[in-house]
Amino acid sequence: MIDVLLTILVFFMTITSAQVLKVDKTIQLPVAKDAQKKDNSRAEAIVNVRWKNKQAQFVFNDRVFPNAPAMVEPLKTARITGEKKVTGTANPTFRAVIRGDRDVPALYVSQAMNACGEAGITDISFSAVNKE
Amino acid sequence: MRLDTNVNEGTLGFQIAPMIDVVFVIMLFFMVMAGAVKVENELNTQLPGTASTSTSTDFVDEQIITISDTGEIALNDEAFDSPSSKDLPQLKATLMRLKQNADAAKTPAVVTIISDEQAKYSRTIDVLDALAVAKIDNVTFTVNEEE
Repeated sequence: MIDVLLTILVFFMTITSAQVLKVDKTIQLPVAKDAQKKDNSRAEAIVNVRWKNKQAQFVFNDRVFPNAPAMVEPLKTARITGEKKVTGTANPTFRAVIRGDRDVPALYVSQAMNACGEAGITDISFSAVNKE
Repeated sequence: MRLDTNVNEGTLGFQIAPMIDVVFVIMLFFMVMAGAVKVENELNTQLPGTASTSTSTDFVDEQIITISDTGEIALNDEAFDSPSSKDLPQLKATLMRLKQNADAAKTPAVVTIISDEQAKYSRTIDVLDALAVAKIDNVTFTVNEEE
């Protein structure tokens, strides 16, 4: 009996800890119920767009940038490094994942996309959560 | 009168019943947490690239979805759903029909989202979510910048 209980316990502990979001706590992600689950095996650059005190902040690799064009060079470097990990079908392209706060105006997300485009990253995904 | 000095006589061995109780409580906690945990989802898009001029290019019908700063959504200038509706049922149904028609005509369904620059990003995600339901993946996103 105790063996079975411990096994079930370990199972629930594993799925709970594996699914905990590894996102910036200051960002409230928008909800998209029908989106597909994020593929964590892809080679990617993660760009966070915060919305603090009605001002946008761009965060890439734990560095805060005052504007999106300032991220172009670091993104370019990340792409060059990341493209080495790109392998055939499982990892077809290097991509950028934009994690924007739900309240941020679309303009700043567009600026983050432009920065990715200028850095040569054309495959862009938007991050969301499955529920409130 | 002699006092009983053998203290070991009263100690209990390993008790399985309290341990089962504790394991049950911990298990219950993790079961509840597993149901409430948020999972990160993704909505994909592709930036427009350059096309080769040596090959012929088919012109496709492009659908344009506009998002106003108040959250109103219009497909090809026709308004759909209320600004407070997150599920966008009318837009979803129309996009599904468009996708079916495009599949029948063997042409790609191409959608461009033009958002007002002050529109909330969550509204863009609502539209992208509706496109994901309709299985339309040729999506580009741009912002209608004010002059």
